[in-house]
Amino acid sequence: MTKDEKKPLEQTLGEWKRFIYNPGSGEILGRTAESWGLILLFYLAFYGFLAALFTFTMWVMLQTLSDETPKYRDQISSPGLTIVPKPPGALEFSLNISKPATYENYIDAIKEFLREYEGKKQEHLLQCRNGTFFEQDNIFPKKTCKFSLETLGPCSGLNDVNFGYPDGNPCIFVKMNRIIGLRPQGEPRIVCAVKEGTEVNLATFPKDGRLDLMYFPYYGKKLHVNYRQPVVALQVQFQSYNQEVSIECKIEGSPNLRNQDERDKFLGRVAFKISLTQ
Amino acid sequence: MRAAEILARDGPNVLSPPKETPEIIKFLKQMIGGFSSLLWAGAVLCFIAYLIEFSKDKSASLDNLYLGGVLIVVVILTGMFAYYQEAKSTNIIASFTKMIPRNALVIRNGEKYEIPAEHLVLGDIVEIKGGDQIPADIRILTSQGCKVDNSSLTGESEPQFRSCEVTHENPLESKNIGFYSTTCLEGTATGMVINTGDRTVIGRIASLASSVGHEKTPIAIEIEHFVHIVAGVAVSIGIVFFIIAICMKYRVLDAVIFLIGIILANVPEGLVAAVTVSLSLTAKRMAKKNCLVKNLEAVETLGSTSIICSDKTGTLTQNRMTVAHLWFDNEIYQADTSENQKDQIFDQSSATWTSLSKIVMLCNRAEFKSGQESVPIMKKIVMGDASEAALLKFSEVVMGDVIERRKKNRKVVEIPFNSVNKFQLSIHETDDPNDKRFLLVMKGAPERILEKCSTIMINGQEQPLDESSVKAFQDAYMELGGLGERVLGFCHLYLPEDEFPDNYSFDVESMNFPTSDLCFVGLISLIDPPRSTVPDAVIKCRSAGIKVIMVTGDHPITAKAIARSVGIISANSETVEDIAKRLKIPVEKVNKREAKAAVVSGMELKEMSPEQLDELLANHTEIVFARTSPQQKLVIVEGCQRQNAIVAVTGDGVNDSPALKKADIGIAMGCAGSDAAKIAADMVLLDDNFSSIVTGIEEGRLIFDNLKKIIAFTLTKNIAELIPFLIFIIAGVPLPIGTIAILFIDLGTDIIPSIALAYEKAESDIMNRKPRHKKKDRLVNHQLALYSYLQIGILQSVGGFFAYFTVYTVQGFKPDLLLYLRPLWENDSLNDLEDSYGQEWTKYQRQYLEWTGYTAYFVAVMVQQIADVIIRKTRINSVFQQGLFRNKYIWVGIASQIIIAVILSSGFGSIPVLNFTTLRIQYWFVAVPYAIVIWLYDEFRKLLVRHYPGSWWDKTMYY
Repeated sequence: MTKDEKKPLEQTLGEWKRFIYNPGSGEILGRTAESWGLILLFYLAFYGFLAALFTFTMWVMLQTLSDETPKYRDQISSPGLTIVPKPPGALEFSLNISKPATYENYIDAIKEFLREYEGKKQEHLLQCRNGTFFEQDNIFPKKTCKFSLETLGPCSGLNDVNFGYPDGNPCIFVKMNRIIGLRPQGEPRIVCAVKEGTEVNLATFPKDGRLDLMYFPYYGKKLHVNYRQPVVALQVQFQSYNQEVSIECKIEGSPNLRNQDERDKFLGRVAFKISLTQ
Repeated sequence: MRAAEILARDGPNVLSPPKETPEIIKFLKQMIGGFSSLLWAGAVLCFIAYLIEFSKDKSASLDNLYLGGVLIVVVILTGMFAYYQEAKSTNIIASFTKMIPRNALVIRNGEKYEIPAEHLVLGDIVEIKGGDQIPADIRILTSQGCKVDNSSLTGESEPQFRSCEVTHENPLESKNIGFYSTTCLEGTATGMVINTGDRTVIGRIASLASSVGHEKTPIAIEIEHFVHIVAGVAVSIGIVFFIIAICMKYRVLDAVIFLIGIILANVPEGLVAAVTVSLSLTAKRMAKKNCLVKNLEAVETLGSTSIICSDKTGTLTQNRMTVAHLWFDNEIYQADTSENQKDQIFDQSSATWTSLSKIVMLCNRAEFKSGQESVPIMKKIVMGDASEAALLKFSEVVMGDVIERRKKNRKVVEIPFNSVNKFQLSIHETDDPNDKRFLLVMKGAPERILEKCSTIMINGQEQPLDESSVKAFQDAYMELGGLGERVLGFCHLYLPEDEFPDNYSFDVESMNFPTSDLCFVGLISLIDPPRSTVPDAVIKCRSAGIKVIMVTGDHPITAKAIARSVGIISANSETVEDIAKRLKIPVEKVNKREAKAAVVSGMELKEMSPEQLDELLANHTEIVFARTSPQQKLVIVEGCQRQNAIVAVTGDGVNDSPALKKADIGIAMGCAGSDAAKIAADMVLLDDNFSSIVTGIEEGRLIFDNLKKIIAFTLTKNIAELIPFLIFIIAGVPLPIGTIAILFIDLGTDIIPSIALAYEKAESDIMNRKPRHKKKDRLVNHQLALYSYLQIGILQSVGGFFAYFTVYTVQGFKPDLLLYLRPLWENDSLNDLEDSYGQEWTKYQRQYLEWTGYTAYFVAVMVQQIADVIIRKTRINSVFQQGLFRNKYIWVGIASQIIIAVILSSGFGSIPVLNFTTLRIQYWFVAVPYAIVIWLYDEFRKLLVRHYPGSWWDKTMYY
């Protein structure tokens, strides 16, 4: 049939040309300038209206929220654990004590991390009572408890500025994610265990890896400006070189802090590997 | 045996059935072309995208793999559904045709055998008699008053004589050839088989059908157009964002993944299923109204029809001779020709009527088949020819128990009708015991009957047949003949008792009784009357802008009369001949433009060039083709198609099949149709009634409108599914909605509402507008695309984003933080990402929040799609004018949307791959304001369209 016949190329080109600009009717892309004007005006108005609608609804929504505390904490009922320093990619440290380049970055990262806890930076902070929540719901501005580096023993950096790395006893810091209003039950502590590898001893500081309750609850970064997160230091004391160990740290001693989620490998626990060579 | 050899050589004497497409091909055909090609392309892209991702990262997300799989499953399932639907209607058709094995009486070696007709071979001598179907093309050797009905071949409905003389060079015209599949009406003949099987004349016509190409259906063209639009939009957006992604320093491979993702997001996965189901729902509805559609796409074709070429006999008419007029006492009376003939209102008090009714009753050989006591008179089967049957039924209706009356007037002798005498005569005893006279009754061709009369009965009195009564007779005869009716004359004579005592022995051979100087009683004219529903249907067609052309093998006068009575030629329009007659000028001098109507005979058509035919079709709105052969139907159909019309053609015979196939929609007759016609056709009329076509057209137009609504509904949320991905690319926010959730919208929540739109009633009288213009009234026009994509679609996206931002904000991530957060957000080893409030999140906690975002966005789109389905109920009227609750299925659809979303969000959806989370109850209502805005905005659009027809707004916003 005729409709299947291919139009000659010139004709097709001509049609396209006429579509792009038709001198007869003054149409550009099938519309007159006036028509294009109207269309653009219409869409300008329409999208202007949409933008206004969106802005208005967002504004109303934001009005219902507080600046200090998020409305819900549905997804973060229980905190995750992370370590400092953090190897790039997977959590696998590969240390060679004869090659400082393999751990210099980690030392720098630790120093950076501990700067907040230096004595002079905590001078104006409170010395709180151990073992109880530091409730200050009605106190403004919120006060912060001191976290003393001394409790971290050999990992405090006060005596050993290299945090044991050149000696084959690297310090790794375990921290628990901040969650506003979290009040751990019982006596939460970080317990680390060697999963693979034998000739290694683990030492946690403060004693037993305790996270003192006085650092809870957290009131959010706006209210709780100088908040110091409690940290647990883990010193991995290698008994011999040239071995790889897998270590898992978990929160224990607190029924409301979960540490066995199947899908979230960092909920209340953290696992990492260290290989040490000479 | 020689016969066996020839049989082996030539094959059996049967028409090879039209080539049926193998089932597997039919099945596969459902899965290519149109929408399906879009989905296949999408599936291939999915796999490519997955391979790219997999080559990069062995643990790549399987989403693309799932999507590809789902696309293929959708295509296959929809294909299976469509195949099943069509196979079902094909089966219904097949059950109509029961092959009756036919036998032929053959003389071989001087002995008569009865053998199956298919074993006939060239050179066989066969015997045929009245009522037989001629078993092959034969040359007549001997004939005793043999008459055949060649109507299925040539269209001539009058019986044709067959003798052994060659009367014409053209075998079709020659009297000594009997054709395969025609029937012998009366007499006997012997003939020699000269052609068998496919080599017969009818066989050659039938094989012509397979060489006629089938055109693409209009809806297929529309869907192709739609696919082009969608593909164009998808590819353009894809390429634009590919370039943007490259400029934003994404890696090329990532940009390619984005490109594929964008194209995929544009594929309307659910639409093919929704369209197929909607078409089959309409097909089902049509089947209830006696239109059985074989090919789902033909459902819509019927709606776009602009010309119907209709058969006369059986389609427009009742296909039975019926008494139409009576003339006695110098007056024409009209008889009721409706299907039940209940209201015979003519004057039955005259004594002339008493005499006439007696003749009608007695001079008639037709009888009811026994055992039909409970059947209504009109439905009873009669043995006898059509005219006699008509008269028998007429008498039965008017006078009651004819058989009983005939018994009382015992028949003494009779001469059956034959074409030499042109009359039929019988002599009866009277039912009056005191009247010992015999009554001679006679009927026949009016002029022959009049010749035999010397008196005429007026008001029961015999009067001499003077010039004025002859003139009155002539006038009445002309008038009734001019109505296209078959006129019969009736006369009688009471034989004087003294000459013909009751023991007189009548002899037919010597004709020892008077056959002249009879008393003329009256005329009765017969016609195959129009079906009573047809005139309304024709009026409907006319107001719907559909041209109805009658194509018949009948005589032009009859054809014209029927055309007038059903309105194909309207009361005040004239043909060229009418004008010539009125103005008393020669036909050549008439200005052809003045004549709206035209009656063209097959002979005239044969002489016409295609240009002349085009001119005829273009200049006349009311056309009747008479005395046409079925082959000429093909010429007419092609002529109509040259006018850019969408042509529907009815047909029943084998020889109609080329035209049926050529037509945009071929309509075969369910009762009278041959297998070949049914196979070639797209649709079968179960009741053979023209008005069923019109109801079919109504459904076809409705589904076209409703498909527009369905597509508009479906396209809208496509944008709401695409924008998140675009924002994700350019603003680096966490992904607002994932592939699986999109699939659950397309193939879950949206399926039932979109199908429900197929049940929407018409907004205004769809039979009052012109048929849609093939090129201008597209299924998907730019108004529809722009309104759905750029207005409602964008509005919906904004609503979705509002829900998305709400969820993130209330959980701690404010919108400003989200911008360009993606590299950190998606970092697997970052398990202490800080939110806007200083809290820290593990990767999985963020992931879970992201899924909650998907769910919220999904629910927002679902909520707004509820508004969308409501606004799509109408395109111009307010939803309230249409009735919010009139279409119950819409509410079923809305309920299904909500139920599916609730199920997904309430735990079921949290199984690993699906990634739905449980939403806090208030998030379900976040998008409600947007849904309300959609509804209000569309009502506003419709209001302006209604109030300012033809305005810029109307042209831009009405789809």
